[in-house]
Amino acid sequence: MSEPILENIRTRRVVREMTDEPVAREQIETILEAARWAPSGGNLRPNRYIVIQNPETRRLIRLVSPGMFQKAPALILICTNGDVLAEHSLPPTDRALLIDIGTAAQTIMLAAHALGLASGPVTSYSKEAVKVILNLPESYSPEMFICIGHKANTTKRGMTAWKKTSWRDLTHWERFPDA
Amino acid sequence: MSENWVLKEDEAIELLALLITSARIQMEEPAHYGPLRLLTATERLSSAIIERASEKSRDFLQANIERIPDMHMQMSDTDAYAAGLDELCRRVAETLLRHSPLPEDDS
Repeated sequence: MSEPILENIRTRRVVREMTDEPVAREQIETILEAARWAPSGGNLRPNRYIVIQNPETRRLIRLVSPGMFQKAPALILICTNGDVLAEHSLPPTDRALLIDIGTAAQTIMLAAHALGLASGPVTSYSKEAVKVILNLPESYSPEMFICIGHKANTTKRGMTAWKKTSWRDLTHWERFPDA
Repeated sequence: MSENWVLKEDEAIELLALLITSARIQMEEPAHYGPLRLLTATERLSSAIIERASEKSRDFLQANIERIPDMHMQMSDTDAYAAGLDELCRRVAETLLRHSPLPEDDS
C-alpha cells in the first residue's frame, strides 16, 4: 500500500458539522465508482446505493434519524438488495452482508476524503420510516447512511475517546497461552 | 403558568418524529444513547420555542441550545456527563419555580 493511501486512512475523520455547499455530481459518481470496488463476500454484490440531494427529502430523512447530527448536502444510503440474497439462498442474517456494508462504507468515506470532502456514517434511524420516505422497493433494506459534504469551520470539539488505544492494544500475536 | 403558544404544528410533528424513532432505535442501541436522544429532543424543542417563549424561560432555553451539543461529546466521561445533566436538572427546577412560584412558608 502506497504512503498516500496510508495517509488518507490516518487523516480521515467522522465529520458531524458540514456546510450547505453542494457536492458536485461528478464527485459523487467518483465515490460510487470507488464503492463498486469494495470487497464483497462471494463477489455477490448485494449492496445498492441511493443518492439523496433533494433538500426536502434530506430534511425528512433527518427527522426520522436521531443519529444524524449533520445537515449534509448529500446522503448515500447503502441498502442490501434482498433479491440478490434470495437468488443465492442467503438468509438476511448472513454475516457476509454486514461485512459488505462495512467495506462499502469505509471505501466511500476514504474516497470522499481523497476528494477533499467530509463524511460521516449514520446507523441511528428508523428503517421503516426511511423505507416510507424513499418509497424503497420491498426487497431493499436500508442499512447505513453516509453523509457527504464539506467540513464546517467549527470550534466545537469532537467526541471524546472512551479510551486511548493504539493498534497494539487491539492486537494479540499468535496462540493464547493456556490458563 | 404562561399560556403562550410557543410551538407550531410542523415543529411539534418534527419533535414527535424524533421521539418515536428514538424509541424504536433505542431498543437496539447502547443504554447510554438513551440520554443522548432525550437531550437531542431537548435541544431541538428549545430551539423551536425560544423565539416565542417568555423572558422567564429564555435563559434556560438558550443554555440548552448552547450546552447540549458539547455534552454529547463528553459521554465517555461519565462523571462530567452526570454533572452536566445535574446542572440541567437544577436549571429546569429554577425555571419551573419562575413559572410557578411557590407560596412562602407561613408556618
